[in-house]
Amino acid sequence: MTATRNVAIVGGGQTNWGERDATWKDLAQEGGKATFDAVPAIGPENVEGLFVGAVQPERFANQTHVAPLVAELLGIEVTEMTARTELACASGQAALRYAWLAIAAGQLDTALVLGVEKMNLGREYMPEMQSSMSNVLDREFDGVNGLAAPPFFAWYAQRHMHEHGTTREQLSLVAAKNKSNAAKTDFAQFRSAIEPDEVTESPEIAPPLHLYDCSGITDGASGVILMSEEKAREVTDTAAWITGSGQSSMAGNSINNLPSFSGWPQARKASQNAYEQAGIEDPLGEIDIAEIHDCFSISEVIEYEELGFCERGEGGQFIEDGRSRLDGDIAVNPRGGLLGCGHPLGATGVSQALEVTQQFKGEVSRNRQVDDPTTGLIHNLSGSGSVHSVMTLARDPQ
Amino acid sequence: MTDTTDPTDGDAERERVSVPSKVELPRLLDFYELQTEDQTQIHEFYDNLRDGRLTTTQCCDCDEIHFPPRIVCPECTGDDLEYVDLPDEGELFAFSEVRDGLPLGLSEHDVPYVVAVVDLGPVRLSGWIDNAAYSDLEIGDAVSLKIVEIDGPTDEERVFYRFEPADGDAK
Repeated sequence: MTATRNVAIVGGGQTNWGERDATWKDLAQEGGKATFDAVPAIGPENVEGLFVGAVQPERFANQTHVAPLVAELLGIEVTEMTARTELACASGQAALRYAWLAIAAGQLDTALVLGVEKMNLGREYMPEMQSSMSNVLDREFDGVNGLAAPPFFAWYAQRHMHEHGTTREQLSLVAAKNKSNAAKTDFAQFRSAIEPDEVTESPEIAPPLHLYDCSGITDGASGVILMSEEKAREVTDTAAWITGSGQSSMAGNSINNLPSFSGWPQARKASQNAYEQAGIEDPLGEIDIAEIHDCFSISEVIEYEELGFCERGEGGQFIEDGRSRLDGDIAVNPRGGLLGCGHPLGATGVSQALEVTQQFKGEVSRNRQVDDPTTGLIHNLSGSGSVHSVMTLARDPQ
Repeated sequence: MTDTTDPTDGDAERERVSVPSKVELPRLLDFYELQTEDQTQIHEFYDNLRDGRLTTTQCCDCDEIHFPPRIVCPECTGDDLEYVDLPDEGELFAFSEVRDGLPLGLSEHDVPYVVAVVDLGPVRLSGWIDNAAYSDLEIGDAVSLKIVEIDGPTDEERVFYRFEPADGDAK
């Protein structure tokens, strides 16, 4: 698709993430307020389209039809388009993509994208939360085997080690990098820097994965304002311009129909589509910041390969050589990723886009600013990795 | 909620409104599907499994073998499908062990347990590996089919497939 109008993310805000003493509606209100506070020129009265990324409010908060609820809570009289997006862990990016398309197509000029998830129901209700997570796979044939995310991604770690010689130490380096980045992120759930050795000292959850290889169970909300170029110019000088958006599934969702257990060709295809739209020929050379879906440490290793930062099978060496650090060839997950910030499902993609926007503006909260970034990328996988979504962003419009 | 007393007087006795203290596990939260002809159009898969055969659908038009079983061929959209036998032995393609955090509806089961991708040749599927610990297993180990009966919140007789180390591979 060729977008017909330039679209900018002009700014946004988010709640603190973690185990919050707050309801789904509390989080939506906090996230909305933080977003409007960060973009003073835009208030609820300016919002023509509302896109809410939310994965399981029906199960986590016994609430459906959440987009109109958000409109009411934030005083938004939606004049053009309202929608809630559900694409499991990529729901936030799906909301961004819908808003981008609506603005690019000329349907509206100003949209609020808000991702909200309330996941912590109290420790005693963890089995209920896990039940909801198992529904993300085909429940009848895969969820039934108790397949929540950790054992599923453990298979990928095992196969990647088996096929490519990736080491346990290399997985630990990913977790330590991202958790240490999150120590510089005020809203993050886990704000303690760790050493790689601490990863394998943490409890083994689903071997070869330990607790610190896993993202959190997180409550949180994140919002951004998207605007057409004409309107964006009225409110800001610096923004993140959406230059490309790609998505791929390969007609596979169940175990039998996934194309690989050591790679994600869907991510390769989605990123190639986005790169083509954005005119990116050398992703490693051209992209400064990549906010990618490290739901587990192994995921980031595979994504280095599939997003074209290195050859297939060399993701472990890529982290070992320090190339994805803040001061490396490409700053991967400067925010701290899902491993450090936590993963309130519907909010994650929105928060990734906000990080890139704030990095372009030089506005990140503490000492994790990347030197003069001009090109960024966000990536999410969802469910059994059956779908991968990639969006490219630039500080200057095309 | 009704309240016949002065709502501002915290000491006054208020009418109490009750909700049930216990809710029966809804069938919705049970992981195993209902398996009979009046519930699902892939009942033949379950009928075969009850008879001791793991089967799946094959398209009579384009020969594609599916798993999970289908009622419409995703390859050619044909709906002339037949059930064919799958091998009852396969190899471990990938496996891990769930140590904790079982979902509601399965939380009665013992942890840890091994869950694997089993390669049966024509198809790969996920499954529990019984009678084995993670440390006993290696990629490529032979596993064989076992069928279990499911007790639960329905009177219907239900079955499901699992795997266990094949003879000789059990440690």
